Amino acid sequence: MSGALRYLLRRLIFAFALVVGVSAIVFFLINAVGNPIAMLVAGQPSATEDQIAQLTAYYHLDEPVGARYFAWLVRLLHFDLGTSIFYNQPVWEMLRVWGGETLKIQVPSILLALLLAVVVAPVAARRQNSALDAGVIGGALLGQAMPVFLTGILLILVFAYWLGWAPSYGAYSLRAPLLGSPVLDGLWHMALPVAMLTAFNAASFTLLLRASMVQALRQDYVVAGRASGLPEWRLVWGHALRNAFSPVLTYLGIAFGLMLASAPVTETVFTWPGLGALYINAIQQLDYPVIMGVSVAVAVMLVLATLLTDIAYVVLDPRVRLR
Amino acid sequence: MKAFWRHLRRSRAGLLGVVLVSVVVLVAVCCPVIAPYDPNDQSAMMDVGANHAPTGAHPLGTDRLGYDVFSRIVYGAPTALAVGLGVMAIATSVGLLVGGVAGYAGGWTDELLMRLTEFFMVLPVFLVVLAVVRLFSILVVGSWLESVPHLNLLMVILLLGAFGWPPIARLVRGEFLRLRQAEFVEAARCIGATGADIVLRHILPNIVPSLAVAVALGIGGAVLAEAMISFLGFGDPGSPSWGQLLFFNYEVLKIAPWSSLAPAGAIFVTVLGFNLLADGLADALDPRRGK
Repeated sequence: MSGALRYLLRRLIFAFALVVGVSAIVFFLINAVGNPIAMLVAGQPSATEDQIAQLTAYYHLDEPVGARYFAWLVRLLHFDLGTSIFYNQPVWEMLRVWGGETLKIQVPSILLALLLAVVVAPVAARRQNSALDAGVIGGALLGQAMPVFLTGILLILVFAYWLGWAPSYGAYSLRAPLLGSPVLDGLWHMALPVAMLTAFNAASFTLLLRASMVQALRQDYVVAGRASGLPEWRLVWGHALRNAFSPVLTYLGIAFGLMLASAPVTETVFTWPGLGALYINAIQQLDYPVIMGVSVAVAVMLVLATLLTDIAYVVLDPRVRLR
Repeated sequence: MKAFWRHLRRSRAGLLGVVLVSVVVLVAVCCPVIAPYDPNDQSAMMDVGANHAPTGAHPLGTDRLGYDVFSRIVYGAPTALAVGLGVMAIATSVGLLVGGVAGYAGGWTDELLMRLTEFFMVLPVFLVVLAVVRLFSILVVGSWLESVPHLNLLMVILLLGAFGWPPIARLVRGEFLRLRQAEFVEAARCIGATGADIVLRHILPNIVPSLAVAVALGIGGAVLAEAMISFLGFGDPGSPSWGQLLFFNYEVLKIAPWSSLAPAGAIFVTVLGFNLLADGLADALDPRRGK
């Protein structure tokens, strides 16, 4: 138990370091550029020097940078991320809403991609070097190199413009929801973005899992299991898969990180109102409380993802201990 | 070297990678010959008009701003390669230095450098790079830097390189740890070779193969990253790039799909080429892998 506790403590320290590191980098960068209020208001003929000074004082931008960063950290401990300059809403609330939209497409697509890999990879691995195997590898290699915008564009052209099955942008219908049901409407809008992200993840998952399944199926216990008359599907999906899964788990955290970091792109492709879109708006408007908020939220989500994958390791393989 | 080529040729994926990468390089080198129009030529505006479907004169159509899409694609190749090579040159230098020092010195130096590497590895790099590019573009206005050609592109290359070294550093460190105890290094030490001699003449040449694989992968990654930055509108307005073409034309996807499909396809082909090349290199350099 003490091992697990120590592990948790180490993770927490790392998480704290990451959050402080990321926020410090962003904070000092923004402030190196100058007073965001002055830059935003500059060029607006109606703004007087007086008003700029007033706003600067209002956002405490006249205080020293170090002191302001420290004050920001202290407020963060109270879960207070300040107020957006542009939207005049609490950043915390905005992160909850926009972040929810991001997770809404990213979590299902990771799960779907895992499911796809778990079904396809063992089949390919069982017939190593067959035409089927080559097809799976080829498809996965293509999928891995496919930039998200190309997948997105193709999906939109085919399923939104040509067939008209699913909407090409947004998370909700502007007028009446689909069939009068907001839930159905949400799912309908999720279809194409989730498909795009699933394709992106499934390729890497399948390649990794296939490679480790090929190794696992050569092990003695598989031969022994087969000799003792275990049904083939239990051998493959029960025993070998469980042992072959750890590389995929390791990659899961990385995949989630990649997806979160590229959220600005994926959400631009589908005009999706998520964290990435929020971030792009914020850096264009120099809305620095939001920039800080999103960077910290992403850092925290990354840490949580690593934590979850580490726990999944232990559940999957009793030999592994949290240290 | 001969055996290396034989192996590379035997891997069909690797061969396709070599072909694709050669095509991109060739296009990049010969772009004035291949492109029918100047990249900044918007004369199609007065002629067939913007968003015109592919014709004989404009094989990939014209885009929203009246550019010939094919010419813009061709002129995007040198930009993409400059980004890929520039980024990996920086990332490899830093990675070699950090990984080499960590792996050779060991002890607390190793511990410290690897913690730093881990930190950079989990950093949401793309978000930080976007913010820096945006802030930098404000900062330079009115300064002498503004007169530097392709300044924004140089900044993107510098940033992607400065944040792209951790995988290389980890790889190099691992190789250093492995080779430090190899028999031939022990032997060199026995006959009194100096530290610099061991690193430069005995360890480094043995790292080159695995480094080549990582660099090939990294070039593809850098091309994609630059495309993503430009697609979001934070790229260099002065250098034609595939991401920028997408940024200009994504809005008109419905009426002029060619001007979005072409750059997305070009990015795909380039990234695929470098990925397959890396795959083929890994196969060719490691006789135990593959068949």
